[in-house]
Amino acid sequence: MDIGLTFQQLLNGLSIGCVYAIFALGYTLIFSILRIINFAHASVFTLGAYFTYFLIGGKFGFNGLLSNGQLPFALPFLIALVVGAVLAGLVSMAIEQLAFKPLRNRGADPLLTLVSSLGVAIVVVNVIQYLVGAEIYAFPSSVLSGLPAAVNFGNADRAIPIRTIQIVILAVSVVIMIGLTLLVERTRTGKALKAIAEDATVAGLLGINADRLIMATFFLSGFVGGLAGTLVGLSVSIAGPYFGIAFGLKGLAVIVLGGLGSIPGSILGGLLIGLAEAFVPSSAIAIKEAVPFAILFLVLIVRPQGLMGRSLVQKV
Amino acid sequence: MLEIKNLTVNYGGVVALNQANLEVRAGEIVTLIGANGAGKSTLLRAVSRIVTARGGQLTYDGHDLNRLRPDEVVHMGVAHVPEGRRVLARQTVQDNLALGAYVRSDTRAIAADMQRQFEVFPRLAERRNQLAGLLSGGEQQMLAIARALMSRPKLLLLDEPSLGLAPLIVKDIFRIIGELHRQGVTILLVEQNARLALETADRGYVLEAGEIVLSGPASDLIEDARVQQAYLG
Repeated sequence: MDIGLTFQQLLNGLSIGCVYAIFALGYTLIFSILRIINFAHASVFTLGAYFTYFLIGGKFGFNGLLSNGQLPFALPFLIALVVGAVLAGLVSMAIEQLAFKPLRNRGADPLLTLVSSLGVAIVVVNVIQYLVGAEIYAFPSSVLSGLPAAVNFGNADRAIPIRTIQIVILAVSVVIMIGLTLLVERTRTGKALKAIAEDATVAGLLGINADRLIMATFFLSGFVGGLAGTLVGLSVSIAGPYFGIAFGLKGLAVIVLGGLGSIPGSILGGLLIGLAEAFVPSSAIAIKEAVPFAILFLVLIVRPQGLMGRSLVQKV
Repeated sequence: MLEIKNLTVNYGGVVALNQANLEVRAGEIVTLIGANGAGKSTLLRAVSRIVTARGGQLTYDGHDLNRLRPDEVVHMGVAHVPEGRRVLARQTVQDNLALGAYVRSDTRAIAADMQRQFEVFPRLAERRNQLAGLLSGGEQQMLAIARALMSRPKLLLLDEPSLGLAPLIVKDIFRIIGELHRQGVTILLVEQNARLALETADRGYVLEAGEIVLSGPASDLIEDARVQQAYLG
């Protein structure tokens, strides 16, 4: 076995797995509080990538309303990444106000909200297509200017080059995963979020403003979704307005595999699926997309609640 | 302190409270007694704004409660210990207490208050790192009361604190209610155990099918023939 290749596959798997994980955390944050899978999350992911592309001075194609649109300035990539994610977070908050809150206030069945979020996802995809067309956009290779394209983890004789982009992705994701875990597990706000998840009425009686914290949660969810979108766009490319929807299915596999509503579960699920994909041999590349779902299927047979999920049978 | 005028609450067409009037003055223990389903809990829920009144005025310290959200009512110094305790089963005893102080930001005083709750309720101290869902019914009731006290309320709404508890524990809880009263906390107590409630309270109201039918000093109500027949028998 080639150690260098294995190491490369390992790092590639970890880095894509980290992106899966932070993308999935966006679903998990909302699910853990509202018990709803927010299908619009995948479209926020897509938007994040387009926002960042635009902010670094990227130019749009000749299709769509914004044909040949380009900002008169260009932000450095890392700043654009954060600003793009903030914008995605704001969109996510708007989606909450439009598609979630009115239904929640009327005590609608979660299934209706799920359908509403699916509708939002389709609207967003169509708006993107209307504005900038359906072409593929790639981040210019110069976005990480100042950094080498790859870092050699081997030596001069046996090079083990790892793309700098993978390392950036890994670093950003680890920061996000640690930050979110600390936020939920260690802070007053995290405890308040758990209180809303368990009993929203009691949370109100404790002085917690549930509406405001739910909005903040949607912002965070959109923020990490937007980051993930940019990172995938950077690593591969922005494959058109439907970019996030296909990715969204994988995100769903991750959260179900990890256990719905579990933050460590989402991280573990993302890493597992990323690694499994990375180690699919090139001869079997045709089935690569099926790997996450095969893993999901096998795990669910043994553990229907997912790897870290609470047992489905709840004590009353 | 709390003034309720002509309060009417409907639940999907069913009248739960009809034109109820009630007043709690600062420093008092006022009890609201009545049969199951008479609307006692509904009245407390309307005060803490987790149900919306159909009509009537709710005034607390000169503020119109009907304009506020539940969390804003807590900020004004009203704490509600709901029926059935409703502790956060998936969080530890300590985290439940910490959340009780959510409206406060004086970290040091919060820590001191938590220590005090542990002195008043030693059972909670022993179990501070356990999940609240694993506590016994009596311990959960103590936790629910302690959690409400963590917000340093001026007015405490207590909904059936004796429900489903063994007599010895009920006695313990009423002793603590008396102590809180002596410390200056104003209390509105809803109870089915009318004798215990009237013995503890300064004044009382009797609720029947959504309407206040009797009110007066608790010592008078205990002697009242109708109360004796219906609730103390």
